[in-house]
Amino acid sequence: MRRFALATGAVVVVGWPWAAPPYFIFLASLIAVNAIVAIGLNLLSGYTNQLSFGHAGFLAIGAYAAAILTIRAPALPVPAALLLAGLITGAVGLALGVPCLRLEGLYLAMATLAFGFVVVEAILNLDGLTRGNDGLHVPAARLGPWSLATDTARYYLVVAVAALLIAAAVNISRTRTGRALLAVRESEIAAQASGVNLAAYKTLAFVVSAFYTGVAGGLFALVVGFVSPDSFDVFLSVDFVAMIIVGGLGSILGSVIGAAVITTLNDSLAGFQNYRPLIFGAILIMSMLFMPGGIASALRRIPGAGAWPLFTRRDDR
Amino acid sequence: MTWASLVHVVVSGLATGSIYALMAIALVIIYNATRTLNFAQGEMLMVSTFVGWTAMQVLQAPLIVALAVAVVAAALLGFVLERVVIRHAISATHFDVLIITLGLSLMLRSAAGVTWTHDEFPFPSFFSNRPLMVGPLRVAPVSLGIIGASLGMMLVLGALFRWTRLGRAMRAVAQNQRAARLMGISVERVYSSSWMIAAVVGAVAGVLIAPVVFLSSKMGLVAINGFTAAVLGGFGSMPGAVVGGMLLGVLENLAPLYLPASIKHSVPFLVMITILIVRPGGVLGRVARRKV
Amino acid sequence: MIRRASLLLLLALIVGALPAAAQQGVTDTEIVIGSSNSFSGPLAFTGEQITKFGVDLYFRVVNDGGGIHGRKIRTVYYDDGYRPQDAVANTKKLVEQDKVFAIIIPQGSPPVVATLEYLEENKVPLLFPYQSSPVTRGKRHIIQGMTLSDRSSKMMIDYLAGQRKIKRFAALYQDDEYGKSFLTAFEKDLARYNLKLVAAESVKRGVTDVSAQIAKLQAAKPEVTFLVLVPGPGAQALKERQKIGWKDTLMVSTGPLTDERYLGLAGDAAEGVEGLSLWPDPLTSDLPGVKLYREHMQRYHPKNEPNRYSIAGYFAAMMFAEGAKRAGRNLTRDSLMAAFDSFKGFETGILPPITIGPDHEAQKQGFWVRVENGRFKQLTDWLKSE
Repeated sequence: MRRFALATGAVVVVGWPWAAPPYFIFLASLIAVNAIVAIGLNLLSGYTNQLSFGHAGFLAIGAYAAAILTIRAPALPVPAALLLAGLITGAVGLALGVPCLRLEGLYLAMATLAFGFVVVEAILNLDGLTRGNDGLHVPAARLGPWSLATDTARYYLVVAVAALLIAAAVNISRTRTGRALLAVRESEIAAQASGVNLAAYKTLAFVVSAFYTGVAGGLFALVVGFVSPDSFDVFLSVDFVAMIIVGGLGSILGSVIGAAVITTLNDSLAGFQNYRPLIFGAILIMSMLFMPGGIASALRRIPGAGAWPLFTRRDDR
Repeated sequence: MTWASLVHVVVSGLATGSIYALMAIALVIIYNATRTLNFAQGEMLMVSTFVGWTAMQVLQAPLIVALAVAVVAAALLGFVLERVVIRHAISATHFDVLIITLGLSLMLRSAAGVTWTHDEFPFPSFFSNRPLMVGPLRVAPVSLGIIGASLGMMLVLGALFRWTRLGRAMRAVAQNQRAARLMGISVERVYSSSWMIAAVVGAVAGVLIAPVVFLSSKMGLVAINGFTAAVLGGFGSMPGAVVGGMLLGVLENLAPLYLPASIKHSVPFLVMITILIVRPGGVLGRVARRKV
Repeated sequence: MIRRASLLLLLALIVGALPAAAQQGVTDTEIVIGSSNSFSGPLAFTGEQITKFGVDLYFRVVNDGGGIHGRKIRTVYYDDGYRPQDAVANTKKLVEQDKVFAIIIPQGSPPVVATLEYLEENKVPLLFPYQSSPVTRGKRHIIQGMTLSDRSSKMMIDYLAGQRKIKRFAALYQDDEYGKSFLTAFEKDLARYNLKLVAAESVKRGVTDVSAQIAKLQAAKPEVTFLVLVPGPGAQALKERQKIGWKDTLMVSTGPLTDERYLGLAGDAAEGVEGLSLWPDPLTSDLPGVKLYREHMQRYHPKNEPNRYSIAGYFAAMMFAEGAKRAGRNLTRDSLMAAFDSFKGFETGILPPITIGPDHEAQKQGFWVRVENGRFKQLTDWLKSE
């Protein structure tokens, strides 16, 4: 059952550029980018029960890192650029995560929100590097002899990276680290009593979350082809939070579905012009009223869904 | 820079700070009752101010009518939102409710744009904009008026919490819902009242600030500063909300005076991060210890 | 495999056999154009006005009159809320899904700049983008609408420093692309007169209080203070000046701000303010094109007050219609761009005669105004920016 679903999914994802009109290839790339951010955010929120309203800031760091690397070092193969984008963002995550260890809930939410604003300000003021308000055009990245200049090429890149990161996220929960993180999620105090180094694991969750978002930022820069401070406002961070809550907190499948739902909605409602936020808001409210706990939690109630244990979590109500 | 203009800038900052404080108080009232972060607080302020303004335009009435209508509209809006939407999500997690209030804020802003357009409109003020000379100082009545009216509103709220039955019930619910219910307090009534009171506080803030930032569908964004203020002061504490609001207002004004352009806009956020790291519970807050 | 190949061949033959006129977005009966615009976010009001009450107003008149060479014009707009990535998505959707012929009047520098390379690659005409950054100048497939910031700056400095011999200038600018591009241009133009800005202060979009910035500017004692803002903060700055009784500076608004909107907001605090106006007064001007615009607005949207945003959209649509008319029945992207290149002294009745040169700018001028009794009073004729 599970193998069949995975295989079907893989066929759809690989075959998508042949079946779908060109615009939907681009849209699917955006969904995959957002899915990586959502998984990254969920690794933090799902394991530590804390929301971050600053992930647009991490996305911005990754996006600018990749954009600047692609412009200044055109020979650099794209996996290296993305890895660097992720590592740089991860390092910033570490720098933010350590002092934020003492913060919980609301306070962490506000500290990360503030972080998002500070990142945008920093981008504006490092204009020698970032060209400030003008923004940066991102040239096509190179992968060996190929130039990733088409939507289809970029799609395969994004999807490959997303698959890799999803697999990694699924596997984290199987390792010692993953079990420790799960223990932290269930009860910080109980985990600590069992010898889990709380501070280390919470920091780790922060860093991994930032790394994921940084890689996604690099892909964002390549897919959209332009980065500017206006791209990374606080509302984008809020969108990411909406993705993981609508999808289902703590669920990897939920993160992907949440990213797909929010991105598609955002896009397909654009034609409603002034009514777009009205309809979007109504859908958010309805989905939370009728699917408390998000889509993953609703799926879990469907018989047979138990075959996805690693994708789900307990209800914490 | 003369010290007279420094005084003016600080007073001006206290005026916007007192609006932030009112927003922070409204957020804290709702949080204490339903443990909800109300993302729609700013939009509730905006819609009730618009309703008051429309009544004033249609009736050709004085400003006090706009205030009265805004307050009534706000109370009604707070009541309806809590009853129709939030109450149904009472079993949901806080995170679910967060998304619901986010949805509400998007809907209210968009609906206001459809109804009144996204244009900006001038809004009359109770207080004059022309300066008064007090010795060497120039004082703007509008700043003093906003500070005075906000402090008045805070005193009324303080009295309400301290001396009325409802206020005691609200404090009890904030401390421990189950115990409050066992004591015979109608927790549902506290939910309703909290949303209504928070909405009314917002409406007053809206009528006070609309002459300064103008009436528009985007004026609700001032609520973000309300969040910052509430957290600066230690979320959940009323005096903390006031201190946090004033601090933020003054900080926002002093930073551009003395700091280089490159960091002046980040200062409120940097200060917030620093304060949170040094005192994780905010300036006046306590860190809650959780039991196993 | 072979079957698929032959199918493709057949398809290619059919496509090849179609008449050359079959340009994307142009059928026998219809021309489809559109844009990504702000219908939410900070510039939602402007976005709605330039599109639905501007572009669509003029096209409605054209369509009611039988269209252009028998083709009616249909517009498609998507909301981007001023976010660059949404503008990219919307623009791709317009080109690839809706198959638009051209992009008309998208708004804001960051969203427009984000789409430039994509549009250029696909040779999609970008017509009259509503933004003032000079990056759109002289591009093969772009016709710039709004007067660019460097031209505005040149006219303002030449008039104030050149004609009126003013020496001390300061600026209050919005901390974004719009503000920065004017600031850079001011500094460059002042240097020609061996002058410098004596102070420059920035404000954020959605600012609550500008007292600190105004206090700092006052301390620098400028004779002229430029306001490079949008209506809300612009009016806030004027009211703040009134609040501290600062009288010995002349406040001057840049073109995108010189608009009735901020006059209404600031009330009597706006009296005496001067500025560069890019458009004739939409409510009172006697120019034939403006009168016609008011008539059309009255006929189709009687409740919508004329303003400088909707007239900009109306003007853009008028220019497009003229270009499409000149391109003839065989309307293609190339023939349209060639038609624009043929504009020599085209009379719109709104702006001075339009000539489009190699810089591809339709609008290069402005005139000086002062606020008297709540309206703009014209002080000069159209100024030169060449």
